Amino acid sequence: MPAAIEFRNVHFAHGKRAIFDDMSFCIEEREMTALVGPNGVGKTTLLKIVAGLLRPTSGTVLLQGRALESWSRRELSCYAALVPQHLDVPFAFRVDEIVAQGRVPHLRRFAGPSARDLEVVESAIKAVDILDLRERAYSDLSGGERQRVKIAIGLAQQPKVMMLDEPTQHLDLGRQIELMGLLRTLNQSGITIVAAMHDLALVRENFSSVILLMPEAVSIAGPTAEVLRPELLERAFLVDRSSLGRHVSAESFTYERGNRYER
Amino acid sequence: MRRPKTSSTLVTLAVSLLVAGVASAGLGAVRVPFASVIRALLHPADAGDAGIILFTLRLPRVIAAGLVGAGLSATGVLFQGLFRNPLADPFVLGASGGAALGGAIAVFLVPTMSIAGIGATALLAFAGSLLTMAVVWSLARAGKNYAVENMLLAGFAIGTMLNAASSALELGKEASNPGMRILTAWLHGEVGVPSWTQVLIITVVELAALVLAIPLARQLNTLALGEEYAEQLGVRVGQLRIMVVVIGSVLTALAVSLGGLIGFVGLLVPHVLRIILGPDHFRLLPAAALSGAMFLIVADTIARTAFAPTEIPVGLLTAFIGGPAFLYLLNQKKRSASL
Repeated sequence: MPAAIEFRNVHFAHGKRAIFDDMSFCIEEREMTALVGPNGVGKTTLLKIVAGLLRPTSGTVLLQGRALESWSRRELSCYAALVPQHLDVPFAFRVDEIVAQGRVPHLRRFAGPSARDLEVVESAIKAVDILDLRERAYSDLSGGERQRVKIAIGLAQQPKVMMLDEPTQHLDLGRQIELMGLLRTLNQSGITIVAAMHDLALVRENFSSVILLMPEAVSIAGPTAEVLRPELLERAFLVDRSSLGRHVSAESFTYERGNRYER
Repeated sequence: MRRPKTSSTLVTLAVSLLVAGVASAGLGAVRVPFASVIRALLHPADAGDAGIILFTLRLPRVIAAGLVGAGLSATGVLFQGLFRNPLADPFVLGASGGAALGGAIAVFLVPTMSIAGIGATALLAFAGSLLTMAVVWSLARAGKNYAVENMLLAGFAIGTMLNAASSALELGKEASNPGMRILTAWLHGEVGVPSWTQVLIITVVELAALVLAIPLARQLNTLALGEEYAEQLGVRVGQLRIMVVVIGSVLTALAVSLGGLIGFVGLLVPHVLRIILGPDHFRLLPAAALSGAMFLIVADTIARTAFAPTEIPVGLLTAFIGGPAFLYLLNQKKRSASL
């Protein structure tokens, strides 16, 4: 079975600045993969490349064994949904109106949603448990509620792969745990999950595999326990091993809010 | 947030628009009762003196006011969707000013072509509006978002240029010059009495533009999630942007060639409708065209009857209502941005 996402020697530069160089990895279908690495290492860039929003400078990206360039915009939008870190919506659009936008790639151009599309929207709203929010304005929602709405948009796309850019950022501990539960449920229902993550404790508890992006070094992909080792994290985050302490021990999970890895 | 049904809303608005149009045609120095206006419309040949007043003066003006209001409000919806900002009105952005400047140049340089029909005036007005939008676009775009300040400043700069240019055009022209009269009317925002040919042509072009805009309105809903998100969902953002700007410029140019600079209609009408109908552009667009037409017919009726025999330009009225509404929205925007 071909991999859900495969990068082969992918190079990406923003202007003259290389974001990453010679990136290669595989994400198998139905895997739950965390992208881990310091800020600015290219986690968001990587997700945007898969979503077709950025083009790699060189190298090959394969989705289900097929080169990314051969996917039409529509096919790609139906295959991989990107849940962005921030979503601000002007005007008082309701939650159900926002989630319905996830159907757009499935509609004919200029056409409106059919009854079937509305059913999909309905079940996406149910799946993330926001039935009671559907008639509220998105702009009035809390961070945790917004995160669920964003995931519902992604589900309405009926994707095989769902990519999330720092989904737990700005959520309190309870909402973080709930969100991870939701992602695991989606994963069990057959959706490949790829998420850029900062909280290693959440990664260790919930993700089956990790891609560790290193500044100025080759990235490392593998099962969570093998990748989140002190000597690798030390190099990725450019910190001293002694200060890594609790972030690498498998037993104690001390949650702490904020950006610990800000350089 | 429960919202009224689209179909019943549109029917209600269309009926109210007809009633407002008929009532407005009856009002003026010579009053024509409501029933007589309807009779005259059904049997134009037997209408007599009332018919002359209605068909040569009142009806062309009522229809012109309706076309101006519909065009400006629909453009407001389109530009607000494109810029994701409730302040984006053709007058505020300077598109109306650009159209007036283009039109004024035509009036003075090729007066024979422009004064009788719409010809050169409308074309140059369209060019002026389109050019202004292109400038506003590139100025307002800061990264992935649009800086409100830049947008408003661009509109301000275009407005100032328009005033200077029209003053320059005035120099050396006598007050009796027909171009001078047209320009003054435009700067004040006065709805004129167009010829029936003009009414017919503008109605056809405006309806065509509105019909073409309807499918774009759905895409503007997706665009509300942001340009990148819309792109991810398969919307061709570049194409959408060009089509919205072109159609908005056509509508603005038509409105300006009939009524000159009438401000804030495109801001006021969509804002009120959004409170009632919600922000869905697909619902908003036809509703805004109908309500905008009604709003401007009523405003123009007040403008020509309230201080009779003196007429005040309808542009003054809309400025008095729209100015405060604009400041209110600006303040709200400022607050939400600082959160």
